[in-house]
Amino acid sequence: MAEITGTTIDKHEAPVECAVRRYLYIWEGQIRIIHWINFLCILILSITGYFIHNPFMSADQHPYIMGHMRHIHYVSGVVFCGGVLARILALFVLSNRFASWRAIPNPFNKKDRETFFAYIKFYTFLSKDTPHVIGHNPVAVVAYIFLFGLFLFQILSGFALWAQADPNGTMYALTGWLFGLMSNQWVRWVHFMIMFMIAGFVINHIYSVILFDFKTKSGEISSIFSGWKPDRRD
Amino acid sequence: MSNFKEMLAAHNVSRRSFLKYCSALGAILAVPAGMTPRIAAALESDNRPPVIWMEFQSCTGDTESLLRANRPTVGELILDHLSLDYHETIMAAAGHQAEASKHATAEKFKGKYICIVEGSIPTGADGVYCTVAGETAVDILKKVGGDAGLIIAVGSCSAYGGLPAAYPNPTGAVGVSDLLPNKTVINLPGCPMNVDNLTGTIVHYLTFGSAPAMDRFGRPKFAYGKRIHDNCERRGHFDAGQYAEQWGDHAHRQGWCLYKMGCKGPETFHNCPTLRFNEGLSWPVMAGHGCVGCSEPGFFDTMMPMYKRLPNVPGFGVEASALKIGGTIVGASAAIFATHGAVTVARNWKQVKEAKAETRETTKETTD
Repeated sequence: MAEITGTTIDKHEAPVECAVRRYLYIWEGQIRIIHWINFLCILILSITGYFIHNPFMSADQHPYIMGHMRHIHYVSGVVFCGGVLARILALFVLSNRFASWRAIPNPFNKKDRETFFAYIKFYTFLSKDTPHVIGHNPVAVVAYIFLFGLFLFQILSGFALWAQADPNGTMYALTGWLFGLMSNQWVRWVHFMIMFMIAGFVINHIYSVILFDFKTKSGEISSIFSGWKPDRRD
Repeated sequence: MSNFKEMLAAHNVSRRSFLKYCSALGAILAVPAGMTPRIAAALESDNRPPVIWMEFQSCTGDTESLLRANRPTVGELILDHLSLDYHETIMAAAGHQAEASKHATAEKFKGKYICIVEGSIPTGADGVYCTVAGETAVDILKKVGGDAGLIIAVGSCSAYGGLPAAYPNPTGAVGVSDLLPNKTVINLPGCPMNVDNLTGTIVHYLTFGSAPAMDRFGRPKFAYGKRIHDNCERRGHFDAGQYAEQWGDHAHRQGWCLYKMGCKGPETFHNCPTLRFNEGLSWPVMAGHGCVGCSEPGFFDTMMPMYKRLPNVPGFGVEASALKIGGTIVGASAAIFATHGAVTVARNWKQVKEAKAETRETTKETTD
């Protein structure tokens, strides 16, 4: 097989019909960096968090293993908190319209509603194709809002549980009210359970990204690495 | 004052050991050493209030703890001197005589006496599950507790309902503060409470005329300000990753951490590791059994299962562990999206076939 290059295709007499006009820079640097920081934090927090629940390795593998696992959990928890807050801040400042709060579908806007239900129809196999949106798909945005709710509870409960080491400290003063709502054992339980809910989301997220990358040919996967998405008109 | 000196002499307690005891109490209360003379003065003064000790739905475990007071010579002296006017287990009076004494004290020292409550209070069926001298526990508590200068709830049952309030709580048991929401109730939970903490609380009240600093659950911070886990003698093994995996295994016999055996030390605030029980002899973790979290609000229910880290969730007749539920969430997510993926592949099969052919065609033409 000879080499296929862009030039040879362009020279073809009957040009291949292409819906892509050009590439647009959708996910700006800060958004991609925050995404991958959060990804790494969730990975590390899940591994160390599971270890704290069930220490499956013992001192034979590494001396002071629980101490180090907890240390890593706390440090990545603080970084994750920064990442989540930075993403929420980026809804309002330093981001383009695709990453800002304006990307959230407005239930009072007819067009937004139509797009949203078109996606629901696609997900439930009621229609074969999706309307093209260049940023987030509106159903995903709703899932992300729910996901960030989970993140915020993880951060709050995580700091609250950490603060129990010093009930006279500032951290406990800020987070201790949680234990007035539910006992610390149930806070632990929910903190543990949300890890599984996030894992369930990750499965959904990766699947949907592959699905739409294939279905809409819009570079979903590469866009979170490079930021570029095709400007399609079809 | 001279009376007190005579009492000390009668109990064969020297001035020196009395002051040593005052310093030790100061240490328990975490007040500066300079406070020792003030504690001594408070104990020496003769105007200490009488105590009414009431028992409701309890196992008398806290009374047992009281009777095993650490440092007995001085402890007895203090308690004698407190004028314990009513205590069902240890008072000499009985019947009408005892009741009369209780009412007399409550009336004569209205707003001044110390009311100590042991055991939970049943509110179900108009309180008939616990009555003393024809009165329900609810009525007695509201009357005697309502007029008290200081209320101390000893043991987890009187503090938060404890064992009688465990699911399904057939008697509608509640703690003291649930029935007296407008009174300051000092909770000394524990199963049983540690009598040194009771002595400390009373001495604090006698010395400063007020309740000690308390946490959000009404527990004195000097006794419940730190987690068991953070002061545990096995904590080094926890951080090092040395855990007992089974009762009686090598690690258990070595005295390693009981975390994996469901020890609730990491979620329980109490000074057991530092104060210990029975004249400072031992405490549960030292004896080789994990903490069961008895001094936390919500004990018994939230701290079970005793030998697991997290609570089980009842439902559909089986109690499901956190791991099982979590695994189900992830499994369900994987199953849903795997099915969705399979359907999508099937639905797009024709498109993929066409795309393959088109690509083959195009690349063939251009490379010719």
